[in-house]
Amino acid sequence: MRNFVDFIIKNINSIIFLILISISISQIFSRNYYQGSKINLFSNSVLNSINEIKTEIFEYFNLVKTNQKLVIENSFLKNNLNYDYSYDSIIFDKNYSYIPSKVISNSIKFSKNFITIDKGSFHNIEIDDGIITNQGVIGVVNNVSDRFATGISILNSQLKINAVLKKSQHFGSLYWTANNHQIMELEDIPKSANISIGDTIISGGMSSIFPRNIPIGFISDFKLPESTNYYVISVKLFEDFGSLRNVYVVKNDFRGEFNDLKNLNE
Amino acid sequence: MNNINQLLFFRFIILSLSQFIIFNNFLIFGNTVNIYLIFIIVFPLNFNKSLAYIITFIFGFAIDFFSNSFGIITFSLLISILIKPYILKFAFGNFDVNKVRKTSEYISGTSLYQQTSYLFLMFFIHQLILNTVEIFSLQNFDVIFKKTLISSIISIIFSYFLLLIFFRKNA
Repeated sequence: MRNFVDFIIKNINSIIFLILISISISQIFSRNYYQGSKINLFSNSVLNSINEIKTEIFEYFNLVKTNQKLVIENSFLKNNLNYDYSYDSIIFDKNYSYIPSKVISNSIKFSKNFITIDKGSFHNIEIDDGIITNQGVIGVVNNVSDRFATGISILNSQLKINAVLKKSQHFGSLYWTANNHQIMELEDIPKSANISIGDTIISGGMSSIFPRNIPIGFISDFKLPESTNYYVISVKLFEDFGSLRNVYVVKNDFRGEFNDLKNLNE
Repeated sequence: MNNINQLLFFRFIILSLSQFIIFNNFLIFGNTVNIYLIFIIVFPLNFNKSLAYIITFIFGFAIDFFSNSFGIITFSLLISILIKPYILKFAFGNFDVNKVRKTSEYISGTSLYQQTSYLFLMFFIHQLILNTVEIFSLQNFDVIFKKTLISSIISIIFSYFLLLIFFRKNA
């Protein structure tokens, strides 16, 4: 503090001069329209270029937040969009809601693989809800705690899901042979279906778990075993299960009604 | 000291009023005659620096107020009083600030050539800063230079006579 006062006393002339000259400069630029607008123009161009760099840096560090926002917005949009309006035959297609969540643990190396996500019953997730991404069906929820849920991955040899050929709408069931995490087998497609390599397989929507028309994969190989009428088709998945991160839990809002009706016939 | 304060006060009033009432009201070759710089030219040499800056600021503010050029004259007057000792040294050679009280004592015995160069440098630098800030665009540097040259020559002629008439003894 003493040094500071000493400094001020020693340089009092310069300090007073600087104060006075800055007052006069501020007068020049605030009271004279022409000079003010010129300096504004200049300082704006400098500031803008600095701001641009600053924004770019901040944007980079906010990418995580932006990503989360986009995921939420995406789910909101999917909820509002009637997910499938090209088909109107199955009414519950329009009654799914989507909850964004993150994969906490996932495996592909066992024959019975399970997946854990970071949303639970607090987030309105129930047993038998589906887990999907934009590029495919992931699994079905089998256990729910308050904040977490586990699901049976479709890379589990015990799970079979309903799938159809997009081209001809023939349906079959898709299961995993526990060999390769990118290849699944599709059975029950009849010989009459005119299939070829590269045909797209989509979800069938006949189980009240998954909506229709979620892409799953494409035919990579098929064969017709002797003395049968059904193809055995190898399907290469669109989704890479090795790098799964963001998923949606898909809830059928009318599953109770659907199941009640179904049970009447049994 | 009291004498000098009174002197400064009278100069302040007379110079600002004459600039405002007389010299701001006519143009010669499109330029006003800026005789207010006499206030700086004959400012006491061994005056307290901080006080000198403050008085200059108030004087400049008054002239600015009458000329509708907010801050521009104040700015160039402050620069002028800052560089005045250096110009004095350049024009008249070295001197001891504490011994010389009035500019007239200092100037007495110097040649017309020295006095003119002192006046010319003071006016030219002052006008250069003034016009640069007023026009505020380096693309028009030729305009700035022409204006500066003409207005400083006119102002020098007027203020030289004023100095001869009024400030000869008391400067």
